[in-house]
Amino acid sequence: MILAAAERAGTVEHAAGAAAAVQKDPAMAAVTANAETFVMMILLTLLAAITLAIIRQRNLFGVVILAGIYSFLMASVMIALDAVDVAMTEASVGAGISTVVLLATLYLTDSVEYPRPRSVAIPLFVSLVVGAALAWGTIGLPAFGIADAPIHTHVAPTYIEYSKKHEMPPNIVTAVLADFRGFDTLGETTVVFTAGIGVLLLLQGGWRKSHNSRRDDEDNELDTDGDEA
Amino acid sequence: MFYVATGAVLAALIFAVIRAIRGPTVFDRVLAGNTIGTLAILLLASYGFLTGRPEFLDIGLTYGLLNLIGTFAVLKFFRHGDLAYDIAEDQENSGWK
Amino acid sequence: MEVIADVISWCLIVPGCFFLVTGALGLLRMPDVYTRMHAASVIDTLGATLLVLGLIVQAGLTLVALKLVFVLALLFFFGPVASHALAQAALHADVKPILAEDRRGRDVDPGPAGSAGSKEEPSS
Repeated sequence: MILAAAERAGTVEHAAGAAAAVQKDPAMAAVTANAETFVMMILLTLLAAITLAIIRQRNLFGVVILAGIYSFLMASVMIALDAVDVAMTEASVGAGISTVVLLATLYLTDSVEYPRPRSVAIPLFVSLVVGAALAWGTIGLPAFGIADAPIHTHVAPTYIEYSKKHEMPPNIVTAVLADFRGFDTLGETTVVFTAGIGVLLLLQGGWRKSHNSRRDDEDNELDTDGDEA
Repeated sequence: MFYVATGAVLAALIFAVIRAIRGPTVFDRVLAGNTIGTLAILLLASYGFLTGRPEFLDIGLTYGLLNLIGTFAVLKFFRHGDLAYDIAEDQENSGWK
Repeated sequence: MEVIADVISWCLIVPGCFFLVTGALGLLRMPDVYTRMHAASVIDTLGATLLVLGLIVQAGLTLVALKLVFVLALLFFFGPVASHALAQAALHADVKPILAEDRRGRDVDPGPAGSAGSKEEPSS
């Protein structure tokens, strides 16, 4: 909530300014900046309201639908920020796949949130302190999108010059992801791989159980599920 | 003129979100979700015209399809409890045709 | 010519916006799931059609107008289909409509054992 408020207060105008700089006509640029600020304010407020409703809701079916609505609103926010590809991904993953997969999970478990056995005072205090520390840490950052931030005057030109001089992949984004920031990509790949292994282990355990129960009926000695390892 | 359109779509969005938060049954929320998907497409169109860049309407087509398929998947779940439900198979298994 | 196009699109967009806001207000204020569906379908058909037709007049004969035609066809045909599916699913989950006999029926909040729908009880 704190971050949303800070973003609304400070960075929305700068984001609007950055997007308005794309417009070639100065009158159009002013209209774009105003429109984007206005639309972003309302959409961010709606996002905050939906988040509060998700926290307060007990019935998990309602929570799943509200999460889908959150994804649609977030995709609208990304369209207002000119990131259309990210918006399409957010809509299809958040409002399409996630909703359906979460519903499939709900049919295997209970449909009402388990009541908390302890009080919420200590977790609430910890999250407020960490949130306040994060917000305080962002005060020292330069404003969002201004042209003389160090990232635009030092980092980006260095990437461009270096990749041109050393015959790196012609798409600089690929060079950044795979060469300049390769450790980050390594970490992400590790995370995805671990998640896949975990899912496979879970699925294989359940499948073996049902296969064993069937094996008692059939008296089948061939080990056909392929897990000799 | 596009200010009016965008403002009206945002007002409708606010009402739909209030219904999604308040609605007592789940079907209220599914209805509000479907409406918010339609309003997101209209917001995309009017905002594109407002800023003079209406080239992002392809995303609106994607949203429309996603909205419909998502609503159908959710409703199929509520009714049958199974995404792989097949009406013909269920009828021939239950001996009714 | 510009003025005529602007006048026509104003005449199309403003009623479209009015129907959008009215439909959303009905979605908020109606007493029952089924009546809310009635109100929300106004957004899909009347509101979206008038608004998109106004935008088509503004766009002229370009590729953007063709995309808008496709968006309109999608919304116009898929909106009622989704409403119908929703109404059928709600009926199967035993969400009873508030009829004229029990005009003062109140919405019942699902309790801790709440499932996909709730039973709306008529008050006599």
